[in-house]
Amino acid sequence: MNSSNPSSKAALFLLPAVLLSAVVFLLPFVWLVYTSFKTQGSGSLLLADGLTLKNYGRLLDDLYFVQAFGRTVWMSALATLLCLVIGLPVARLIATWSGRAKGLLLALMLVPLVSGALLPSLGMIHFLGPLGVVNGTLKMFGLIDTSIKFLGTTTGVILGMVQAFLPLMVLPLVNTLSRMPRDVEAAANSLGAAPVRVWLRVILPLAMPGIIAGSVLVFCAAFTSFVTPQVLGQGKIATFGTVAYQQAALVLDWPFASTLAVVVLVAIGLLLILTAQFNRLIARKRRIAS
Amino acid sequence: MRPSIAARVAQTIWTVLAYAFLLAPILVLILASFNDAKFFRFPPQSFSLHWYEAAAASGEYRSALASSSIIALIAGTLSILVGSLAAFALVRFDMPGKRWIEAILLAPLVLPLIVWAIALLQIYAWLGMSGTLVGLVLAHAVITVPYTVRIMVSTFERIDPVLESAAASLGATPFAVARRVIIPLAMPGLVTSAAFSLLISFNDVIVSSLIAGARWITFPVRLYAQLRSEGVDPITLAIGATIIAVILIAAIVGEYALKWSRHL
Repeated sequence: MNSSNPSSKAALFLLPAVLLSAVVFLLPFVWLVYTSFKTQGSGSLLLADGLTLKNYGRLLDDLYFVQAFGRTVWMSALATLLCLVIGLPVARLIATWSGRAKGLLLALMLVPLVSGALLPSLGMIHFLGPLGVVNGTLKMFGLIDTSIKFLGTTTGVILGMVQAFLPLMVLPLVNTLSRMPRDVEAAANSLGAAPVRVWLRVILPLAMPGIIAGSVLVFCAAFTSFVTPQVLGQGKIATFGTVAYQQAALVLDWPFASTLAVVVLVAIGLLLILTAQFNRLIARKRRIAS
Repeated sequence: MRPSIAARVAQTIWTVLAYAFLLAPILVLILASFNDAKFFRFPPQSFSLHWYEAAAASGEYRSALASSSIIALIAGTLSILVGSLAAFALVRFDMPGKRWIEAILLAPLVLPLIVWAIALLQIYAWLGMSGTLVGLVLAHAVITVPYTVRIMVSTFERIDPVLESAAASLGATPFAVARRVIIPLAMPGLVTSAAFSLLISFNDVIVSSLIAGARWITFPVRLYAQLRSEGVDPITLAIGATIIAVILIAAIVGEYALKWSRHL
């Protein structure tokens, strides 16, 4: 084959990365589906012969897992909503900022993303703990006598999720809002629209693609996180992540861990399909409107 | 007509509060690391460098930090080599199925890593690769490649292909074009990719805590096991604060010197 042929050159350049991603990343998902229909002998990691639906039955039968799933859904949904409410004005400010500080604001948003899940949680323990910064400050001003319990509660875990995943909401929002024409808001203002009306009728509809993208990212990240719920929940809050980690790393029931993983994968897949449909609907509506 | 000043002020205060919350655990971690007592309480009674001295003297954590560094360096190098080549091909060549190739390369950004790690744990056990350096490096390379691909695609898109063909028409070999033209022009992107890959690999706990064996225990894996069982060791606050401080400085320098935020 001629090496100066562009298509063979492209294939050569792409091959290592595609191979790495396909073999080490995508192939294991196939294994996951396969082992979710297997069982292993007691006290051994060897897979038993034959395929079975036993793991899926166990998942539905055991209230502990059903409750953990339910808890993870509402906690992640609440964290997503909080990220949206906190993030929208922030993203709007960054998107419309013309000064030098804009880059710095974006760079600071990257810090939690590259810090991993653990170090922010380690800081959160001292921020929210019974002798931590929040409780210490409230006591200093005489607002409370006994510490508010954040660690080991769902409140603490949700606060941790919001802190960890806020950038996943803000960055797509900044992207969408930066592309919004600057003068729409001024136009709405000059026509006498109240600020609340401008937000509801102009900014929110135009930001919708960013809102959807950010919400999906935050929800999926919160739903599958296990370090934040484990560390800030102090082992008392069972979520999908902590349960899956337990089964895979401590109980060593790998086929059952696979089943948990497959269920979440299917749920996330459905969520993505729904979002794509919703996006298409919005795009069509907008085409008709214009 | 300008939007009301009051609305602008409210938005600014909101943003300041949001950033305070976002950075709170990071700043608290740094504050707590200078606390003199074994247990942190706010407001701290006295400050010292006690835990930093203890961290420097502790061989216990040194091996974990060494494991993290070795894995991050090898995985980061692999990620840059493989990711930049792929990004160059994606930008410069037309090919069938480009969208699919991109989807495969960026998949680790979208699909949940814990789900993947549960599968990888089993496959590594099956292949006898559990807890090996090769296994950890491959896993870390996979999660950092999508960052390199994204950063390098946006870098190569900004480089005019005319420069490459000009050098080639003046008789430069393809290797010389790469070394004298493309790599120098792509240097800011390469440095950014390297920083992202190193930091993400060094700080990863999600994948590593599931596939790490007894031999290659990274610092985050060790810290996570400790937090689960024994609680906080103040020495880890000093180490954690140092890592976080490096990240903060890297983000600020990266933004002003290399325009990191343009690659998002």
